[in-house]
Amino acid sequence: MATCCRRPFLLSSTSSIRKPPRAPRRSYQSSTHPPPPPYTPEASSILSSSLRHVPQHGFTQTSLTLGARDAGFLDISTNLLPRGVFELVNYHLMNQRLALKDTVQFPEEGKEAGGKKTGVGKKVRALLLARLRGNIDAGVVGRWQEALAVMALPTNIRPSLAELARLSDEMWFLAGDVSVDTSWYTKRASLSGIYAAAEVFQTQDESPNYKDTEHFVDARLDEVQQVGSTVGQVAEWLDFTGHAAVNVLRSKGVRI
Amino acid sequence: MNAPRIALRSFSRAQLTSKSSLLGARIPYRCLSCSTRLAQTHQFSAQNGADGARTTHFGFETISEDSKDDRVGAVFSSVAASYDTMNDFMSLYIHRLWKDHFVRSLNPGINPLTSSSSEPQGMNILDIAGGTGDIAFRLLDHATTIHNDQTTRVTVADINPDMLAEGRKRSLETPYASTGRLNFIETNAEKLDAIPSDSVDLYTVAFGIRNFTHKDTAIREAFRVLKPGGIFACLEFSKVQNQLFDAVYKRWSFSAIPLIGQIVAGDRDSYQYLVESIEKFPSQTEFRDMIRDAGFVIPGEGPDGEGYGWENLSGGIAAIHKGMKPIGA
Repeated sequence: MATCCRRPFLLSSTSSIRKPPRAPRRSYQSSTHPPPPPYTPEASSILSSSLRHVPQHGFTQTSLTLGARDAGFLDISTNLLPRGVFELVNYHLMNQRLALKDTVQFPEEGKEAGGKKTGVGKKVRALLLARLRGNIDAGVVGRWQEALAVMALPTNIRPSLAELARLSDEMWFLAGDVSVDTSWYTKRASLSGIYAAAEVFQTQDESPNYKDTEHFVDARLDEVQQVGSTVGQVAEWLDFTGHAAVNVLRSKGVRI
Repeated sequence: MNAPRIALRSFSRAQLTSKSSLLGARIPYRCLSCSTRLAQTHQFSAQNGADGARTTHFGFETISEDSKDDRVGAVFSSVAASYDTMNDFMSLYIHRLWKDHFVRSLNPGINPLTSSSSEPQGMNILDIAGGTGDIAFRLLDHATTIHNDQTTRVTVADINPDMLAEGRKRSLETPYASTGRLNFIETNAEKLDAIPSDSVDLYTVAFGIRNFTHKDTAIREAFRVLKPGGIFACLEFSKVQNQLFDAVYKRWSFSAIPLIGQIVAGDRDSYQYLVESIEKFPSQTEFRDMIRDAGFVIPGEGPDGEGYGWENLSGGIAAIHKGMKPIGA
């Protein structure tokens, strides 16, 4: 997991015994210390029971209200969620992202039959499909278009993109990618693109067991590989031609 | 015709108040950056120190706690009739947008179709310092038109009988006048004896808490009357975040508002108090902490303290603070 930008936290001068204990804040995300849960216990309980109403009522205020009732709160208690329905979408996204590390297990390096390692590409594919499977298991696929509409609202675009970036970051981390060059960015950008496209495709997918989505993901991954290798070959050709040209000029006595 | 009479009433009331108060021997001459008043303020605090009486602020003045309720009462008695006109002038109609947004974000009302019980059971809302009914009518409108909820009730509580009378008068023009969904009571927000504990779904206070003598007592009282899971919601003036905008805003509030008060309502002092009390009100963070200290859960705030726990309106001129009474509290 990569560093994540955070606002400087304003420490309030007034202290009180009733304040909930604060986890120490780090400017980076540690892979050994789990991050604190993203929502307060109260908000989590409302949101988790609300998600159960999504298959029937969709990503709406009604789901939130019914969820709050199920969790033993009042109808008005949904005011605890200042961004309303978007919190429900965000809660689903966060939960699915954090669940990835538990749902997808890779055999340890070298212990696989024949001593063959699972390639990073294969791992990424497995993670992508697992994440898409998460939407099916949570029963939100039929309602996901509503969620996409909510995420596309002007005020929600930024946090939605941030969550997408965190998801692709998580996937590359879990796949064991350790790149430290510019490909760090291109990898995350391309994976974000593939995931977002696959998610939209999934909402329209009527094939049994969402086979078409799987084919769609494979096709996009192939394309990225092809584009990646083409770009690499073009770069190599340019590099070679450049050097050759310089050498030719040097042999003619040009001082370069 | 009306305005001079109000001014006269405010004057006599203020006089009465200062006589009955412990220390106020005469009405202090009030204007900004005035050495006479500064001297008086010092004199007041010196006296208070000697007598050991507890003091609080009334705008930029320091007065004894006992007299604050009366002084605030005098201000609002004098502005009751022209309250709405003045709000429109001073905020350039924006206060209506704030109030609309406040109510919309609270989303009061229970749709009888989604109600779990067969008997439609609306919300029980308490609108504190809502004398003229501004918020109460909006809450009922929202519940009725958005949720088709005919049972949600609002109790309007105010310490000031003049403001309540204004609200009663206005309620006759709304469809809720004879439905029993609207109820007016005169009470002090710091001592809500008429309201049983754990009985209120939503407690709202819009542009009122600023004038309370003990804000923390009032918030604790709100905590008492709310049901577990109930919401405390406060719309109040706050601190402007942008410094440049703040400078413009201060200029407007300290020069224009008392002047408009003088011209439109014939009462400069009350509006001078208004802008001074806005200046004295705690900042967003401090007020958030006050709500949290009373035991409320602050929305939008994760366990690690992220998020802000309030919503700024118009760059922080006003802010909406909310808190939920936790279950099992």
